[in-house]
Amino acid sequence: MEVLIMKKLLEANDKLATNNRDYFRSRGLYVINLMGAPGSGKTTLISAVAKSIDIPIGVIEGDIASSIDAERLQSEGIASVQINTCGECHLDAQVIREGAEGLSIKNGVVFIENVGNLICPAEFDLGEDLRLLAASVPEGDDKPFKYVPMFSYIDVIALTKCDLKEAVGFDSINFEKGLRILSQAPIFEVNCKKGDGVNALATFIKEKYNDFRGK
Amino acid sequence: MHELPVVLDIIRIVTEEANEQQLTTINSITIVLGELAAVMDESVQMYFELLAEGTPCEGAKLIFEHVPAMLRCSGCKQEFPHQKSFFCPHCGGDGILIKGSGRELYVKAIDSNDN
Repeated sequence: MEVLIMKKLLEANDKLATNNRDYFRSRGLYVINLMGAPGSGKTTLISAVAKSIDIPIGVIEGDIASSIDAERLQSEGIASVQINTCGECHLDAQVIREGAEGLSIKNGVVFIENVGNLICPAEFDLGEDLRLLAASVPEGDDKPFKYVPMFSYIDVIALTKCDLKEAVGFDSINFEKGLRILSQAPIFEVNCKKGDGVNALATFIKEKYNDFRGK
Repeated sequence: MHELPVVLDIIRIVTEEANEQQLTTINSITIVLGELAAVMDESVQMYFELLAEGTPCEGAKLIFEHVPAMLRCSGCKQEFPHQKSFFCPHCGGDGILIKGSGRELYVKAIDSNDN
């Protein structure tokens, strides 16, 4: 006898993510899940955008170990809390809620800097409003062809370290070719150390925030 | 790649159903896996054999149904399943992934001897 079940697996995370979404909305917080490979420039991107945007910013930092990133942002006056996953390769909805309660900002933008990883974070909804990928030039222009789940999951890309394009032989046309099979996500080319391109991304985020607040 | 929590969830769902419906023997469990769900049959099988022991799922056969990602042709706009090629089988145009497709991950059905 066949019994039809039709039940989603790993639904617990999705339910917690929905709860997170409601919670963040109640605090007027627009949440960005910032993902990317280790060393892709996520923390530097947050730092650069925070300097270019006149909205309160809070950060939930995710790393396997250490509080290096949260301390760095705190030293720049950016409210940050650190989550250590102790080996887990991604953040999930449960730890995000715990982290969010450590931030006091209301009516602003929260960056969740996910664990450096181009694979697993694409499987876990955290309750975010926007999925931003930091893809760095030195990683190579073929990554959209290779990391299909991630590049199809995200809403917007910050192509970081663009000053290194010539040095590493980065083919922007090939990168966009691989991306466009999977996504219509806009690409913001940035060099965060010098600030190039950051204003355009900051403006994009501000517009998203304003839409979210219904202005 | 997170097959361990996936298998724990399979066992939980099937055990709950077995208890509710008073099923004593589970012959098979059908799992639907989307192409982009990043879950591997072999790993699910391996964890299942270890973790199903002592549960109503012990001895059940796992049946995997694979669901491809769906693409839409940028030329003729027809939808087609991804099967190795991203090119449209109707007109040869470039296919574009339909956002969200291919991520299916669920327990579809179980087969039992009980009536």
